[in-house]
Amino acid sequence: MTKIAASSFKKGIFIEFRGEPCQITDNTFVNPGKGSAFVRTKLKSIKTGRVVEFTYKSGEMVEEIPVDAREMQYLYLQGDEYFFMDPKNFEQVSLSRELIGDFEKFIKEGEIYQILVHDGQALTMRFPSKVRLIVTEAEDSARGNTVMGAKKYVTVETGARVITPIFIKLGEKIIIDPETSEYAGRES
Amino acid sequence: MKNWEELKLNQTFWKPFKIRMEVIKAIREFFWAKNFLEVETPLLVPSLILESTINHFHSELITQNGLKKRMFLTSSPEASLKKLLVAGAGNIFEITKSFRNGEDGTENHNSEFTILEWYEINATYKESMKMCERLIIYISNNLVQQNSKFKIFNFKSNLNKQIQNDKIYYRNKDISLTPPWERISVKDVWEKYTGIPFSDLYDIRRKSYPLEKIIDASRKLGYQANKKNSWEEIFNQIFLNEIEPQLIKDKQPKFLYDYPAPLSALAKIKKSDERFAERFELYIGGMELADCYSELVDFNEQIKRFRREKEVIKKRGGKDFLEDQDYISALKQGLPKSSGVALGVDRLVMLFANSKSLDKVILFPNGET
Repeated sequence: MTKIAASSFKKGIFIEFRGEPCQITDNTFVNPGKGSAFVRTKLKSIKTGRVVEFTYKSGEMVEEIPVDAREMQYLYLQGDEYFFMDPKNFEQVSLSRELIGDFEKFIKEGEIYQILVHDGQALTMRFPSKVRLIVTEAEDSARGNTVMGAKKYVTVETGARVITPIFIKLGEKIIIDPETSEYAGRES
Repeated sequence: MKNWEELKLNQTFWKPFKIRMEVIKAIREFFWAKNFLEVETPLLVPSLILESTINHFHSELITQNGLKKRMFLTSSPEASLKKLLVAGAGNIFEITKSFRNGEDGTENHNSEFTILEWYEINATYKESMKMCERLIIYISNNLVQQNSKFKIFNFKSNLNKQIQNDKIYYRNKDISLTPPWERISVKDVWEKYTGIPFSDLYDIRRKSYPLEKIIDASRKLGYQANKKNSWEEIFNQIFLNEIEPQLIKDKQPKFLYDYPAPLSALAKIKKSDERFAERFELYIGGMELADCYSELVDFNEQIKRFRREKEVIKKRGGKDFLEDQDYISALKQGLPKSSGVALGVDRLVMLFANSKSLDKVILFPNGET
């Protein structure tokens, strides 16, 4: 493990904070009036998912936790843990429900995801910016909801409900932004 | 979407900018009524005073002879205003832009921001505290008046809840402006939130704040600190983590006063307690709004402090800057006894407009591009 200065923090990297592995979710420089620079950082605990704020001196050195991104297949949810497997060596890791968070609406069995691993332990996953899922339930276009205009609700294969344009049909594969749960297009 | 695009689509988006206009108008009226001279000082200058760690914007002037001269954008109008005090201007104020590089894109910071700075002759920081109270209440009453008289805001919004006499509604909280506002010393606020006696930081015999003592205190609180850090850096880290986050809970504006001497390079030291300088910061809604000093006028003391500051800057690895010799010569001629205040106008507008971010009270914020 190497030490890095707070001034070189980047969003998404992992560092040790008070003995715990945390992911940096935000960092900004702060100059209290006429003083030296500080780095105000938001840290998400890997264990608890809780976010705390801490202000470092800009030259302060912290342990960076190097991570490998591994392509792993999502297997199943057991209790509060999501299990993933490396198809190359059948190694399994798990991520807690807290870590997966809202993405649980869109996670699909059998899909490959990028899991960030350190020392054999899965820390988190790189959430995809887009997911592609099949529509399993859709209202008839003809009976379109006048309240929503040219839009309607559909259900996709993971059970999530998404608002789409009125022309989307059952069985179609659509693209969704998992961060906003918004329709982002059709899979051609 | 850029602000101007959103303004085109959404009428209510104009509200904070109309409030901004009224705030600045009220500031001017307040100081004109007190016969303060309003002045304009340059934003582009050839040299700086202290603080090279506040990253400055650099530029290049092409002189009449075609030569190139390095210039800077000011981070505050202080140097020019003090020269005017020496020139006999009397009470002065200025509303101007200041520039600080590397502070972009946070809720409370924009690289280019609007600052109100005023100097009152023969006043100390205590008078300036009262002036802050009067100024902000004047602005608040003026907004209430303007809103009811002309319905200038013209929105069905909860503006009536937002701005009432002697009250601001900010971030889901009512902040009472009724004076006198709370005043608490830095020593007391330190002890309250760190639990460490302030006397642990000071060496009475040597009359100083030894670095080792604050390193100890800082480690006790769980921070990393070593001899390479400056006293001010260690103190400020503790302040930013332990004390400042508590200030957002206040239902009233708060003056933090009597700052430790190492944090107040150009402030007069208290006669009654040499550990502290006559300096205050005003916090409202958890934001630092204003900074004030009883100005140090003893030239020999000023030179001593400049040298010490330069040492601290060098130690931090700060860039070499061109010192403003004109400023030094003005100080040598004698700065009149005065108190100076610098106030963030954008942040003040945020309070009155109940905006969570500077982006919403600046028409074209730097972070937009």
